[in-house]
Parts: sequence; C-alpha cells; structure tokens
Amino acid sequence: MASLLRQLARTVRPSLVRNGVCSTSVLYKHTESTEAPGETRPTVRKPDLLARSQLKDFGKYVAECLPKYIQKVQITAGDELELLIVPEGVLPVLQFLKDHHNAQFANITDITALDVPSREYRFELVYNLLSLRFNSRIRVKTYTDELTPIDSACDIYKGANWYEREVWDMYGVFFANHPDLRRILTDYGFEGHPQRKDFPLSGYVEVRYDDEKKRVVVEPLELAQEFRRFELSAPWEQFPNFRNAPPAAEEIKVEEKK
Amino acid sequence: MSSHAIRAGTKQVRPILSTDRHEARQRVLNLYKAWYRQLPYIVKQYDIPKSVDSLKQKLREEFRKNDHLQDIRVIDMLVVKGQMELKETVNFWKQKGTFMSYFKDTVEPKPKDFLSKFLSGHN
Repeated sequence: MASLLRQLARTVRPSLVRNGVCSTSVLYKHTESTEAPGETRPTVRKPDLLARSQLKDFGKYVAECLPKYIQKVQITAGDELELLIVPEGVLPVLQFLKDHHNAQFANITDITALDVPSREYRFELVYNLLSLRFNSRIRVKTYTDELTPIDSACDIYKGANWYEREVWDMYGVFFANHPDLRRILTDYGFEGHPQRKDFPLSGYVEVRYDDEKKRVVVEPLELAQEFRRFELSAPWEQFPNFRNAPPAAEEIKVEEKK
Repeated sequence: MSSHAIRAGTKQVRPILSTDRHEARQRVLNLYKAWYRQLPYIVKQYDIPKSVDSLKQKLREEFRKNDHLQDIRVIDMLVVKGQMELKETVNFWKQKGTFMSYFKDTVEPKPKDFLSKFLSGHN
C-alpha cells in the first residue's frame, strides 16, 4: 500500500509544481527572494544606528556641559556610552547625570575597579548607571592609585555604600567621606586586598585548626613549586573571525569651545 | 626654570586625612592610646592566655614595625586600617583565633644556619 502511494506521489508532484499549484513551493520561492542580500554573519548582533547616534549626541552634550571634568567620551561594544573623567570630578559628574532633566540616571547599578599595575594610576574605577526614565545606561570611568582618596558617592546614590566597601576591600581604594567604610567580603583579620594583581593566587596565609591549642591558627603559607615559564602566546591565529572586527572603543570627538 | 624643576619633582597630591607631619603623628598617637585603653577589656572578653602587659608589649611592637615610614599618606592609610581593626576587635567581630594570630605562636621560625637548614630539608 505504502509503495503504491509513493509511486503515485512521484508521478503527481512534478506536474503540480510545473503548473504552480503547489502553494508551499511558491511561498518558499517568494521568501527567498526578499532575503537581505548582504547577510553574511547572521549570528552577530546588528548595530542599532539610531540608538548609536543618540548616544553620541548625548555624550557630546554631557561633555559640553562639564568640560572641566570629562576627558574623553567613547562608545564601546557598539552601543555602550562611556565617560572618562578626572578623579576630582566624580561627585559633580554623578550629580549631573542623576539630576539633569535629560539624563535622570537615578539608579546606580554597579561600582567596580580594575587593577593595571603598569599604569601611573593603577586602579580604574567604573561606575555603571541606569536611567529608568529613558531606558538607558551609561558608564563613568575614572582612575586612582593606592594612596589617592576618591570622594564617596554615598551622598548622591545610597546604593553606592556597599559597592564602595567592596572596592575598598578588594582593591584598597580609599573613599573619602564614606559613612561606614570597612571590609565586606574578606574575613576579619584578613590582610591585603585580594583583587590586586600583586596578590598571590594562594594568598599569604593558611588557616587550620590546631588540636593542641584548641583553636584556629593562622600560619604563613609556603608552596614550594618548580620554576616554570609560562609561554602563553600560540603560533596560530586565535580568533580569525574577529580579524576584521571593529575596534573595541570608538572615541567621540568633542569640539573645543573657544 | 629652577622653580619649574622643583614643581615637577614634588607632586601635588590629595591628602587622605592629615595635611602635615604633626597631624599625622597626632593621629598615630591617638590610635595607640585608643588601643592601649581597650587592652584590659580585650583580655577579659576574648579569654586568651595572655596578660595585659604582654598585650601592651605586642601593641608597642606592632606600632614600632612601621616607625620608619615618612610618607604622610602611607601613615594615614595605616592609621585608617588600624582604626578599622580596633573596631573589629572591640566589637568582638573577630574570634579568639583571629585575635591570637597577632602573636604567631604556632609559626615555627625559619631555619637560618646551615645545619638546621640541612636537617629540615631546605637548602
């Protein structure tokens, strides 16, 4: 029975297609013709040019409003606006972004830091802000070193309190005028700031229970290890798909006002 | 020209707390006094096998470790950390073992001379 049906279908199908009766094949041909011609990387997110130009305009506007503090405005990852500011300008810039009618970044999403020991100011502080009113995000970056205090943003954003404690605990960046600056992640009595690049992966001390003393004791850690030279660069290309990728950050030129 | 060279040599920095050496010294002394006054209560609260006198000696030793420092900002940073540590100790956020880690009484000194290095397997 099945073989009979198959034979029938084989004889019927070519004639139907020739007459244009078979609707599915017609539809299929139709959709194929409307496909965008230059579609080469369908898995990569398309840049939203409108949103991008709006971000650019906003970045220029902020830079013109606060020329004293903003050193550079850039767009990273396609559609993320970044303001690079001087360390003295943290409070004025954040206050502007929070209270200005066209910004209203009333929500602080995160404060974090990076450690790049080779730089003159080794820590880079990153403030991520969110504007619920305009459904928009912005990133404010500044720099400092181990001994230069940064003004605390707690008076502007209440949520900055714990984030700044975290940055203090992990990197040792001192926040001036913070209401309650103390450790938040490490244990009491812990020494050092673990996210610094010069902090060893294994730490400086080990903690164990001493049966004789009947308490936990802290002892310096010594891990003997053969000297190894890590050669991390490979002879072949790592990411050929990203050979022609656009640069990570695109600077927005702000013309100087005379 | 010379004034320019001097200006380039001395960097203008933002102070952490103190603006001159006298103020920094005063902060260190205040921190020392604050610790000193708390020591009897610490001995009582933590129930440690140490006397107040040995704690005083330890306190002195810990401050003397840093008596070579000249930079006001470094001193201020240490004062800030010492203040935080005092708060942790007095509020009993630390535990006995953590507090006793100042004394390092289980840490065996590293072998220094040839024979003890040899016997411990280091060379």
